[in-house]
Amino acid sequence: MKNRLRLRLREDSIRSGRGFLIFWVIFGLNLSLNLDLPHAASFGLADRVVEQKLTNGLTILMVERHQTPVVSLNMTFGVGGVNEQVGQTGLAHLYEHMAFKGTRTVGTKDYEKERPLLDEWYRVGTELEQRQRELARRSHEKPASQEDRAAIEKLQKRFTELQEQAGQYVAGNEMALLYQRHGGVGLNAATGKDLTRYMINLPANRLPLWAAIEADRMAYPVLREFYKERGVVMEERRLRNDDSANGLLYETFTSAAFRAHPYGIPTIGWESDILSLTPADTEAFFKAHYGPGNATIAIVGDINPKEVMTLIEQTFGKIPAAPPQPPLVTVEPPQRGERRVEVEFDAEPSVVIGFHKPALGHPDDYVFDVIDAVLSDGLTSRLYTSLIREKRIAASVSSDSNYPGVRSPNLFILSATPLAPHTTAEIEAAIYAEIERLKTEPVSAKELEKVLNNLDADLVRALRSNGGLASQLALYQTVAGDWRYALKARDKIAAVTTADIQRVAAEYFTKSNRTVATLVKKSGGKHVATAPLQEVAR
Amino acid sequence: MRHVKMRVRGEGLGVRRSATVIGLLLISMLLPALGASAAEMTLGDPRQMTFPLVEFTPPEPERVVLDNGMVVYFLEDHELPLVSITAIMRTGSWLDPAEKIGLASVTGSVMRTGGGGGLSSKQVDEELEQFAGEVNISIGRQSGSASLDVLSKDVKRGLQIFAGLIRTPAFEPGRVELAKLQAIEGIRRRQDNPGSIVGREFMKLLYGADHPTARESSIASVTRITRDDLAAFHQKTIHPNGLMLGVTGDFDKPAMLALLREVFGDWKRGEVPVLTIPDVPQSRTAKPVVRFVNKDTSQTHLRIGHLSIKENDPDYVALAIANDILGGSSFRSRLFNDVRTKQGLAYSVGSRLNTGMHDQGVWLMRAETKLPSTQEVITRFIANMERMRTEWVTDHELAEAKEAYVNSFVFSFASSSAIVGRMITLEYDGLPKDFLQQLRARVIALTKEEIFAAAKKHFNPERLTIVAVGAGEALPKLLSGFGEVKEIKLAPES
Repeated sequence: MKNRLRLRLREDSIRSGRGFLIFWVIFGLNLSLNLDLPHAASFGLADRVVEQKLTNGLTILMVERHQTPVVSLNMTFGVGGVNEQVGQTGLAHLYEHMAFKGTRTVGTKDYEKERPLLDEWYRVGTELEQRQRELARRSHEKPASQEDRAAIEKLQKRFTELQEQAGQYVAGNEMALLYQRHGGVGLNAATGKDLTRYMINLPANRLPLWAAIEADRMAYPVLREFYKERGVVMEERRLRNDDSANGLLYETFTSAAFRAHPYGIPTIGWESDILSLTPADTEAFFKAHYGPGNATIAIVGDINPKEVMTLIEQTFGKIPAAPPQPPLVTVEPPQRGERRVEVEFDAEPSVVIGFHKPALGHPDDYVFDVIDAVLSDGLTSRLYTSLIREKRIAASVSSDSNYPGVRSPNLFILSATPLAPHTTAEIEAAIYAEIERLKTEPVSAKELEKVLNNLDADLVRALRSNGGLASQLALYQTVAGDWRYALKARDKIAAVTTADIQRVAAEYFTKSNRTVATLVKKSGGKHVATAPLQEVAR
Repeated sequence: MRHVKMRVRGEGLGVRRSATVIGLLLISMLLPALGASAAEMTLGDPRQMTFPLVEFTPPEPERVVLDNGMVVYFLEDHELPLVSITAIMRTGSWLDPAEKIGLASVTGSVMRTGGGGGLSSKQVDEELEQFAGEVNISIGRQSGSASLDVLSKDVKRGLQIFAGLIRTPAFEPGRVELAKLQAIEGIRRRQDNPGSIVGREFMKLLYGADHPTARESSIASVTRITRDDLAAFHQKTIHPNGLMLGVTGDFDKPAMLALLREVFGDWKRGEVPVLTIPDVPQSRTAKPVVRFVNKDTSQTHLRIGHLSIKENDPDYVALAIANDILGGSSFRSRLFNDVRTKQGLAYSVGSRLNTGMHDQGVWLMRAETKLPSTQEVITRFIANMERMRTEWVTDHELAEAKEAYVNSFVFSFASSSAIVGRMITLEYDGLPKDFLQQLRARVIALTKEEIFAAAKKHFNPERLTIVAVGAGEALPKLLSGFGEVKEIKLAPES
């Protein structure tokens, strides 16, 4: 029951959280301005953010908070699943994992000796996998010859030798070890559709450590232990998508809703693609997307911004500017009819419904934020009241006005789980009835006032946490080009009228614009393929 | 390459650099291209950096006891116009009658949703949400908790509503019925997720399915619960002298104390339940157990471990650090490095030592791995555990563990609510208020010998319980090398 105007990004992370459910990352809006509250000036964020831009394009956002001698750091790049090419899905996320393997300094015992071994190992690995795939492809027409098998065996042997030799120079997880030794907590990273983030919290006097590590990583990452890490990512895919009813439902739903735009592709990648990714692909992806001009660093805590800038100039300032990212060209064509998909799984039923809508910043986007709050924020929201309390047909219901990314036109989604013996069909009908009501009846002034009161309170609440604030500053700078976006959005939301809501509901909430995915209970039957042999061999 | 040493002054003013670097500050602000001659970054090798410990004295909350025995901790923090109140209550599902498991949990839920303090449920929700007030109430296994979070301008009304729900909940019949339906749906859905299955079956094997720490509600047990049961449970277990409040944020202490006396002052004392959790019989914990659950998944979800010590055990600190090195510290731990980084066999892997003051703790190793690597992961788990029992940890590992603990200690005090929250839970568990500081001193003094002795005594290969959830036709064979394998057949929950 919180977080009006929320941005919810689906992300895949380097590290699982406690209980390994970092699945949805939910952002409440925090940034306060124009609040009709007493002492607004004393905590107003607008005056507290120090914004700097280096000549190489790197953006720095800083907020001083001196209560505790700690600092939260969030480095966000404007790159994600949408920047991948066909056949290479999962590359943005795999790079994020590989970015923890170190640099020419950190993570190695002797880089000069390690480097030629890595080069040869990756050449051999790439050739080995190409041959294996080639052989598998034509195995139906022509069985592998003695010669083919001998060649592959030889490559496999060399691969194993090189893996072992290169491994002798690896200082395993040294980057993470350094952060932990110096008291770092919450080390993690996450990849979404349109951004990738790297986070850490440190005692405030360890900033030079952070700057030295991170500037090095932005300039000179070294992709070590590639094939094992790809195996880790495969396990992550199995955990989050293949073996998770919700994970599989959302993956299927999203790919049904987007047929052209890369939002339809799972951020973690398709299994076959992940297993085909090469070290060279990963290196090339880094070079194309990880320039300083594509990054924002937000730093919140017990800092002196001038001193921080000196550190940053001495480190990140030395990194040359990079060419801009290749632009995205694909636009999702208008949907011309309802799409319905089912997922069979050994789990109780649920349903997710999505309507195409414009991206962040479009005038109608703010209207969807209000609709989102009216429908599902809190125990007095319309869907909670109707489906859960009055009709008693649902166990849970929620909505989200920006799924699965925010920079490109996206979806307004609604999801719910039925309360047995009620069905997903009954849930759908009840949700559509509430949506029709938005078209035909004006929303009450009291409901609009509630939305705004909660938005304003959330703006203040989100200032409580250094990490939360750093994350949001970097987020809005990256996806909206301006961290002040949330401040401006608050005023746009305040200006939304009941007529706007009726117009937007009528225009977008149509049958032909919607995609519906249902999870259907299926016990017993086998769906899950076992792991491909070539991966097991590694 | 230059190696810059950093120094912090004690006043919490943040990073201060040595004189030479400070000398560069102004120049570099004016001339961002400073140091253009240096092709490399000039801070030096991060592996060689050293820093002094950050010095920080957290603010001390003030403790007041009301006449009726209610304990209140206060910590003012005027940065933001918000007030946050948290409560811990001496109740819990350990008090559930055997035939009505779920009673405490449903009681907590309907205390929040069923109206109270003379207001209907609808009035409570509408008024709170209109001014963006947040209230949560729930009852867990060993305690109940409640919280109020409001803008400081709304604190009086918020507190009146909050106190009404805690003291005189109305338990409206419609909301009781709804909470029961929701609880039953939760039971129906708990076999959906393999992670949930393996976690719950593991606990039931360790403690026994009827033990208060592991037992679960059923559709039958929830169905039996009546509105009168909720009212009686509340009446019997929730009293001012069993309740502790923590108040943080933008308030003035004398005014807040007066307000608390107004809403809670005339609430009469009662007989507070004394938290007692029975020990698990020795016979139950002595032998190895291997079980699997058939679920149509691509991974095997694994839990391996056994019962462990309580937090007041003299070996606690040594065992906690042993576990940290074995698998508790993410990237730094042996299990993470072996099973994940070096072998690529799991995404989420590690070990945990979960201990409390009131019941026996649990120590476990966990991972999810594709079916064909199930045996290898279990073998590596056991080998790593054995290594803790046969060799001392290295000087390097111990130093890393200590530095990580000591340097991250400041994060235990990262906010006013964290400071007050800790005070309350320490008092709830009967621990001294400087408990964390005592732990820290013991960690600093810890030796390899103590870690070795604790690991040898408390990691027991002959007592391991192994639970695997995954492909039922393949698991018995994969697990057969680790003991006699039996299947746990899950009854359908509907």
